[in-house]
Amino acid sequence: MTRFRTVDLLVTVLIGAAFGVAFLGYGQLYTLIGPLTAAFKPAEGLLAGIWFLPAVLAALIVRKPGAALLAEMIAAVLSMLLGSQWGWGTAISGLMQGGGVELAFLLTRYRHFTLPVAMLGGILSALLEWGWEKFAYYQEMSWTYSFLMLGFFVISGALLCGVLGWAAGRALAATGALDAMPAGRERAQRARVAART
Amino acid sequence: MTDLSLRGLTWHPYSRAEPTVLDLDLEIPTGQRVLLAGASGSGKSTVLRALAGLLDEESGELSGSAPGPARPGERGLLLQNPLDALVAATVGREAAFGPENAALPREEIQARTTAALDAALVDLDSDRAPLDASGGQQQRLALAGSLALDPSALLLDEPTSMLDEDTAAAVRESLLASATDRTLVVAEHRITPWLDHVDRLLVLDAQARILADGPPHEIAAGLPDSPAAPHRTAPPRSDSRECTGEVIAALRGVDAKRGGRPVLEELEIELLGGRLSVITGPSGSGKTTLLRTLLGLTSPSAGSVERPAAEQLAFVPQNPEHSFVAATVREEVLASPWARDEQLAEQLLERAGLSDLAQTHPHTLSGGEQRRLAIIAALAQTPRLLVLDEPTVGLDAARRAAVLELLDAARARGCAVVAATHDPVLIAHADREHRLSGVVAEEGGPCRTGPDRTIGPVPRSRAIPADALNPLVLSLIGILAAVGSFAVQSWQGGLLALLPIVLLAPLAVRSLRAGLLRLTPILLSAAGLAWTTALLGQAPPLSGEAWLLGGKEAARITVFVAPGVLALGSVDPTALGDALGGRLRMPARMVAASVAGLVRAGHLGRQWEIITHARMLRGLGSRSSPRMLAGATLALLVDALRGAQQQALAMDSRGFATATTRTWALPSPLRRADLLGVAIALALAVWPLLAEMLVG
Repeated sequence: MTRFRTVDLLVTVLIGAAFGVAFLGYGQLYTLIGPLTAAFKPAEGLLAGIWFLPAVLAALIVRKPGAALLAEMIAAVLSMLLGSQWGWGTAISGLMQGGGVELAFLLTRYRHFTLPVAMLGGILSALLEWGWEKFAYYQEMSWTYSFLMLGFFVISGALLCGVLGWAAGRALAATGALDAMPAGRERAQRARVAART
Repeated sequence: MTDLSLRGLTWHPYSRAEPTVLDLDLEIPTGQRVLLAGASGSGKSTVLRALAGLLDEESGELSGSAPGPARPGERGLLLQNPLDALVAATVGREAAFGPENAALPREEIQARTTAALDAALVDLDSDRAPLDASGGQQQRLALAGSLALDPSALLLDEPTSMLDEDTAAAVRESLLASATDRTLVVAEHRITPWLDHVDRLLVLDAQARILADGPPHEIAAGLPDSPAAPHRTAPPRSDSRECTGEVIAALRGVDAKRGGRPVLEELEIELLGGRLSVITGPSGSGKTTLLRTLLGLTSPSAGSVERPAAEQLAFVPQNPEHSFVAATVREEVLASPWARDEQLAEQLLERAGLSDLAQTHPHTLSGGEQRRLAIIAALAQTPRLLVLDEPTVGLDAARRAAVLELLDAARARGCAVVAATHDPVLIAHADREHRLSGVVAEEGGPCRTGPDRTIGPVPRSRAIPADALNPLVLSLIGILAAVGSFAVQSWQGGLLALLPIVLLAPLAVRSLRAGLLRLTPILLSAAGLAWTTALLGQAPPLSGEAWLLGGKEAARITVFVAPGVLALGSVDPTALGDALGGRLRMPARMVAASVAGLVRAGHLGRQWEIITHARMLRGLGSRSSPRMLAGATLALLVDALRGAQQQALAMDSRGFATATTRTWALPSPLRRADLLGVAIALALAVWPLLAEMLVG
């Protein structure tokens, strides 16, 4: 079951590509919390989890080793090619964020695709991404503020990536768009039972 | 060559309550031409997939026998929407995809591609972008993609249902010409145009039960409710075609452009209350631009547009799923803040035959039901102007009639209804037709010797020196420069480190504007970092010392990011894929699928626009509301996921499932210029360190 069917590959890649496109629209969210972040940069960590969404969604939907990492890398490479302001840093971020989520599902040996694992994935991504950003972008930020930022990162990873990603997976399954995927099967089976009764 | 055969086939997708194919026996001898008819949902598509050997046992239960193809691409499959089959950035690479999967050598790939594009009469140069081509050319291109693998059978799933009459006839002719000496199976609900060209007509009922099977004309004549008979409702047209009535919306002397190209000139259109108008014309003639102008999504370059206020205007996009926001059908009808009348909603549900489905999730409805839901959701806003994009495309006769009834209901209420369409039945049903001829011919030209078939790199708007480098070397420049940036320790060193980047930048930007576009975000975030460091750094906030530290950080981050961002401007996904797959030998299927996904990014971007506009037009929020963004993301994902499933079929029918070793139509050469590139990369890696030594 670990072999990627063509549809698994494409679903993974297109989740990455769709988020790569949607991320351009998400720039608006940063203007929304602009006043807050201008005064207090660590608050930007509150939105960090959004960027890990392709990884957690791909893992929850495709349920095969490597899906989280591939989807996040595609999203990163796409935004890099489109001219993200972080250049090659984006690719490293993709590696950290995809890797964090991948690690969480690896720890369950790809047997559990539940909310707590998704939240753990978000938290691990947040840790890794924070480590990278501290090293690359915020070397001179004092450790007090850096740890505050870590706190925001972790909360955001658990909620915006973990909970929101899990909810998005459920919402997608309800549309029937996942019927060919393992994640859609549960809904499909419920529908079958319901139809029989 | 073997006969196609299905024995005792039952296919039960995990997603369905009942099998979609039940105990089907079907033998198709080599060379036979078969037409599969039957209403939507009768299992025609599934039968074609079974014949192609593409039923996927991870997504359903299969019993009986459905032997697969003997070699990759032995059975070519064409889908209803050719857009789903497209995988490449250029016409040449699109046709080369199958031969690449079959791991053919480069000369053979070129020969097969040329022959296939010629046979399918693709009238486009090899370097054109398939996603920008017209539907007719896209379907020809999909045919060429199949022909490149010399299939012994062609399996066509409603191959012309998305095309206008004339284009459909021309494409049908090419399909039939290509099917000489091949087995042909066509699934269609409009059977008349095919009857003269097939040996056998099979009529399917639910679960692919065979209702009739035999000589085409005999069977067609014997059908009680012939699917061939044009089924329409009596048009309750006004007595005379002279339209009078209140002008609800109008375009007056409108010129409009798309992508800088003029598509509408001096257009005069009045839309009257209680009248159905259709906008017709070949693809590329500006129908979409006209709708966008009418809706206020595009400003005309000249002339004026009159339209009702936002809450009196409703829009139904071509893909109804693009406008859906709610979790049940009933909530969907009342989702817009301008749709308040619950009683009206119930009436509309009743009228559209959706009352029993009121608690169902909109996305799980069938295509025809979704179309009706999107229309009644628009009508629930009691609009004065209803704008629809291709409201009947791909629907069979009965489902189209149901849509026409809803449009009649709208015009009976005095609403001005306008639809862009190429459906002859809808056109005949309208009170007025506005035919667009197009300002310039979109594709090909009258005086051409024939399209260029040479497979080449993806064309660029203007050549720059950086284009001479291999994508791997361009990547190396960005990566090594980023590594080198960590040596920056002072603001003086940082400024000095920036020097070579400023000097090299002109070699990597296509125009001043493009360069600024790429650099502005970097400079803004560098400024942001300087501010943050000055505010939250180790030094006292906003002191002189803190600002110097901030300046150093800004310089360092610019040195870190800028070379990569500038060099990446010359990297295109296709060339990157050739380098990663062909040269670095990374896993071939992963690389090829990633390229296919990245190529679609532009298409996804257009879908995102349609999705967000459809929502804004329903009054569901502005571009920056988190709820709107979340809903639009979900809709984009649904679109991408459904597309992925179709695209996987199209790719597997071209031998992708087994393409773990594949070839790449173009080499990824490392030339002398690349040596220079590597030298630049190394220099950028060590220069910041040297700069620090110089100032330190």
